Amino acid sequence: MSQSPVRSSIGSLDHYSQPEDSLAEIISLDNVSFGYSRKRLVLQDLDLKIQRGEFLTLLGPSGCGKSTILNLIAGFYKPLLGAVTHGGEEIKGPSARRGVVFQSNALFDWMTVEQNIGFGFRFQSISKYEKQKRVETIIGLVGLRGNERKYPYQLSGGMRQRVAVARSMVVQPEILLMDEPFAAVDVQTREGLQEELLKLHEQVAGAILFVTHSIEEAVFLSDRIVILDRNLGGIAHDIEIHLPGPRYTAMNRVSDEFNQYRTDLYLKMKAIE
Amino acid sequence: MQLKMANSEQVSAFKGQDLQTQALREKALLFCVAIAIPSLILILWELTTRMGWIDELFLPSLSGIVSEFLAMVRKGYAGTPLLSHVLGSLRRVFTAFGIGTVVGCLLGLLMGYYKYVRAAFYVVTEILRPIPPLAFITLFILWFGIGEVSKVLIILYAGALIVMLNTMAGVQSCPKDKILAAQTLGANDLAIFLYVILPAALPSIFTGMRVALSVDFGILVAAELLAGDLGIGYIIQDASTFFNVEGLFVGILMIGFFGVVSDFVLRVIASKVVHWQG
Ligand SMILES: Nc1ncnc2c1ncn2[C@@H]1O[C@H](COP(=O)(O)OP(=O)(O)OP(=O)(O)O)[C@@H](O)[C@H]1O
Ligand SMILES: [Mg+2]
Repeated sequence: MSQSPVRSSIGSLDHYSQPEDSLAEIISLDNVSFGYSRKRLVLQDLDLKIQRGEFLTLLGPSGCGKSTILNLIAGFYKPLLGAVTHGGEEIKGPSARRGVVFQSNALFDWMTVEQNIGFGFRFQSISKYEKQKRVETIIGLVGLRGNERKYPYQLSGGMRQRVAVARSMVVQPEILLMDEPFAAVDVQTREGLQEELLKLHEQVAGAILFVTHSIEEAVFLSDRIVILDRNLGGIAHDIEIHLPGPRYTAMNRVSDEFNQYRTDLYLKMKAIE
Repeated sequence: MQLKMANSEQVSAFKGQDLQTQALREKALLFCVAIAIPSLILILWELTTRMGWIDELFLPSLSGIVSEFLAMVRKGYAGTPLLSHVLGSLRRVFTAFGIGTVVGCLLGLLMGYYKYVRAAFYVVTEILRPIPPLAFITLFILWFGIGEVSKVLIILYAGALIVMLNTMAGVQSCPKDKILAAQTLGANDLAIFLYVILPAALPSIFTGMRVALSVDFGILVAAELLAGDLGIGYIIQDASTFFNVEGLFVGILMIGFFGVVSDFVLRVIASKVVHWQG
C-alpha cells in the first residue's frame, strides 16, 4: 500500500479495522482519479473493491469510464492519483495474473485454436503433458472440440470469442477482465457463451470483472452489479444479485426474481440517463 | 404453409445453383479475354511484319526473334554463351535482392519497433525515398569502380529501401490489442516481437519483397546497359548499337520472362508463409 498511516487513519476506517476483509479483496481502487489527458478527468476519487472469486459487472451510460476502469486494473494505464492494487500490491503493468478478453477478441491470426489457447503456457514452467491436458479440457468446456487445428479466419464470430475466453481462462488468472466480450455476436450464440462463461467461472476460481450494456446479461451473470454515474465515474448503485439454483440454468432468464432485478436495474439506469 | 416453405427453399436452392454456374461462366469468360488479347496482339504482330507493313528495323517478326534466340543458344552472344549472360544477370539480381531483403527487413523491424531508431533514420530515409535509385548509378561507379560491386550495390540499395519501408509499415500496423493480449498472457518484449509483431508484419514484408524484386530487375538492366560485357542488359545494349533489333527483343523478352517467373515463385512462397489470411 502506498498510503501513509496518517492517510489511512483519517480515511474510511472500517476497511482497515477488519483484516479478513482486506484478505477477501483481490483488487482495490482507492481514491482513484484518472484522465487520458491532464485537462479532463474521466474518473475522480473512485473507490471500488473486487472480492476474490466474485463475478462483478459494471453497468453505466456510454462514456462513463467502464473501459477506463478495466484499463487501469489491467495495468495499461496508471492512475493520476490514488492507488490501484492487486492483492495489496500496486499494479505496475500488465501481468498474467490479470487476464483480459477484448471485444475485438484480439486472437493471433497466425496461430491455430490450440496454439492461441496454449499461448500463455509458453511463459510458465509447466510440463508439456500438463499443458496439453489443460488445453484439451478447456477446449471441451467451451465446445470447440474438433476445431483445434483451425485458424481464426476459419471460425465464426462466436467461436472466436470462445477461443479468446479460453485463452485467458486456461492460465487461471486471479481476475479476468472482460469488456463487452459478447457484444458482437447474435443473441443465441450470446446466451450460449454466457452459460459457458458461468460454468468456466465455477471451475476456474478467479474473479471476473465484466462490462456490458445489457441489463439481462448483467443480471444473469453477476454476483454483484455496480452502476456507474454519468459524471466522473462515481458509483451510483452497488447491488448484490441472488438468483436461485445453479446460475447457468436457462430458467433463470425467465424467473420472477430475474424479472424483478431487471425492472429495478432498468429504472435505476433510466434515472441516471 | 408447408408447401410454400418447400417452394421457397427450392427457389433459393435453384438460385444458389444459378449463381454458381454464373460465377463459373464469368471466370471462363475472364480467362478467355485474358488469353485472347495477347494472342491477338501476337497475330497482328506477325501479320504486320510478314506483310511488310512495318519496317523490320522497327519491329522484327516473331519468327525472326525466335530464330535469333535459337542462334544465341547455339553460338552464344559476343563470344560468351547465352547461359553465362543469363546466369550473370540472375546472380547479380538475386545476390542484391537477397542481401537487400535481409538488410531492409532488419532495419525496417528495428525502425518499426523502436521509436528512437525510427527517429534516427527518419530524415535520411525521407530524403532518399523520392530520389530514383538510378540517379546514383554513376556515383556508385565512381565510388566502387565499374565492376560487379557497384552494380550489385545499386540494386541492393534500391531493393533494401523498399523492403525497409514496407517492413516498418507492417510493424506499425500490428493491432495494439494483440500486443496487449500477449502482455496479459505473460509475454515479455522478445516474445511479443517474435510471436506477435513479426507475424503481423509478414504480409507487408512480402509485399515489399515483391515490389523490390521487380524494381531490382529494372535497375539490373540499367546497370548492365551502362557498363560491362556480361548480362542480359549488356545484350540489349550491344544489340541496339549494332541495330540487331531481333537481339534487342530477345534481351527484353528474357528480362520479362525472368521477372514474371521470379514474381510467381515469390507469390507462391508468400501464400505458403502467410497462409492465415484465408
Ligand atoms: N484512449 C483514450 N484517449 C482519450 N480519451 C479517452 C480514451 N479512451 C476513452 N476516452 C474518454 O474517456 C471517457 C471514458 O471512456 P470509456 O471508454 O472508459 O467509457 P465506457 O464507459 O467504456 O463507454 P462505452 O460504454 O461507450 O464503452 C470518454 O469520455 C472517452 O471519450
Ligand atoms: Mg467501453
